[in-house]
Amino acid sequence: MTKINRRQFSALLGTTAAAGALAMPNVTGAASHGAKPKVVVIGGGAGGATAARYIAKDSKGEIDVILIEPSKRYYTCFFSNLYLGDFREYASIGHGYDGLANNHGVNVVHDWAASVDGANKKVILASGASISYDKLVISPGIDMKYDSVPGYSVEAQSKMPHGWKSGTQVQAIKHRVANMPEGGTFVMVPPPNPFRCPPGPYERVSMIANYLKKNNPTAKIIILDTKPKFSKQGLFEDGWQRHYDGMIEWISSEVHGGIKNVNPDTMEIETDLDTFKADAASVVPAQKAGAIAMNAGVTDGDWAPIMPATMASKADPNIYVLGDASVAKSMPKSGFSANSQAKVAANAIRGELTGSKVFEARFANTCWSLISDNDGVKVGASYKAGAEKIDVVDKFISKNGEDEATRKATYEESEGWYSGITADMFS
Amino acid sequence: MVRVLVVLYISINIFSITQAVAERSGKLETKAILITTHPNEGPVKGDFEYGEYLAAECVTCHSATGKDKGIPPITGWDAEGFISVMNAYKIKDLENPAMQLIAARLDEEQMASLALYFATLPEAE
Repeated sequence: MTKINRRQFSALLGTTAAAGALAMPNVTGAASHGAKPKVVVIGGGAGGATAARYIAKDSKGEIDVILIEPSKRYYTCFFSNLYLGDFREYASIGHGYDGLANNHGVNVVHDWAASVDGANKKVILASGASISYDKLVISPGIDMKYDSVPGYSVEAQSKMPHGWKSGTQVQAIKHRVANMPEGGTFVMVPPPNPFRCPPGPYERVSMIANYLKKNNPTAKIIILDTKPKFSKQGLFEDGWQRHYDGMIEWISSEVHGGIKNVNPDTMEIETDLDTFKADAASVVPAQKAGAIAMNAGVTDGDWAPIMPATMASKADPNIYVLGDASVAKSMPKSGFSANSQAKVAANAIRGELTGSKVFEARFANTCWSLISDNDGVKVGASYKAGAEKIDVVDKFISKNGEDEATRKATYEESEGWYSGITADMFS
Repeated sequence: MVRVLVVLYISINIFSITQAVAERSGKLETKAILITTHPNEGPVKGDFEYGEYLAAECVTCHSATGKDKGIPPITGWDAEGFISVMNAYKIKDLENPAMQLIAARLDEEQMASLALYFATLPEAE
């Protein structure tokens, strides 16, 4: 069969097709004044790292990209559940920024973005320095609304870790689960909608059950949900019955009446139905956009509204908001979504700053969840930019009763995805 | 940025297409595949830059360096084989709901552009 290689391809150079391209935008910003345009990206996660990488990679030196991220090593929130289930070492979900700096020339600044001066297009760092920008990308992830759970606080999270940002919180959950007494009880309090990683609390429970089944098989898990239903519910409940029959009890908010109080000292969680005593617990409060999005003035309530075609803020055309912090209806708040949104924003930003072609926005998301050894399920959708919001084009979900080979393939696929997306963010 | 127009002729040779699926999809189950061809059986235009943009969606899962870990590599495929496999997903002759979803929204120009782009990347080792 005919194979086109780079050499052959080069011989075909010279003709241009406008396939799929939107109108050529006017070039704006510093580029028009002779200096290189500058993009500052706040947050080095799935949205920010991907945006920085694609803008730098595809602009081929035409745009200066500065990434502001306090951590020198980024531990992904996705797959942290697999660490809880003993499927992964914690070190395996950590990633550095050397690839972005060395391979694409991104200026990685390990500092905290303290504030944004949108009027003067400047970011002020905690160290006191300020950085000017032509375009700013904000991808800060989430902050916790601690007071959404009565009795919960920053202090309480040491005893009832939320673990909803990767790092020591997740390690604390594992430590506490490992030290539960024989036949003890783990209580999970998932957050209300909308929140990061909708299937996450239920995958976490699956992974803790997997650990307990091997190490503390008479232990129990109680889920005191703040919702009457949850993502992939049928698939999870089917899996729990197959693998952990009798170990996991999910109690709907309509049954327990809501979380009235949590007491980290006594490890009690009070509801209308009963007061539950935990030997270990994970309490995940309601969430909101990361603080810098609030500071930049691009939020409306807890989240930042965006223009679906570009991910530009509705409040400031020079600021783009990606990932969990954005109002990206109908996309879920996930690493996959943030990565997808980042590519749309990168394409739009390059177009604005260098006049490169801007292609029509298209988005995708798939969320894999591991229930037990070689037993994975997934849900996914494709999306397009609607006039007011990001709309679903098509979607799928794993079926109940899939055979073992399919469930194993789904798990292996998730491993491949992890390898792919982290390379897409950091290499 | 490299911009190019390349004309790709989709082979309608059943043997070569089936072979392409067998060779390229590795772990995927292969079977007799019904082929959809260009309605006019004429040339399909692919655009490298458009392909590069569209490929960003693919490399979230399929590593751009072609490393295979649970997800088949797609770098270095010949364009005809690539288009054949994507069409097979589009008509649900190959199973995988995520790929069926992706393929379903690709028109012929987009498939050709993707095929053109991935054909220029080094084949997985």
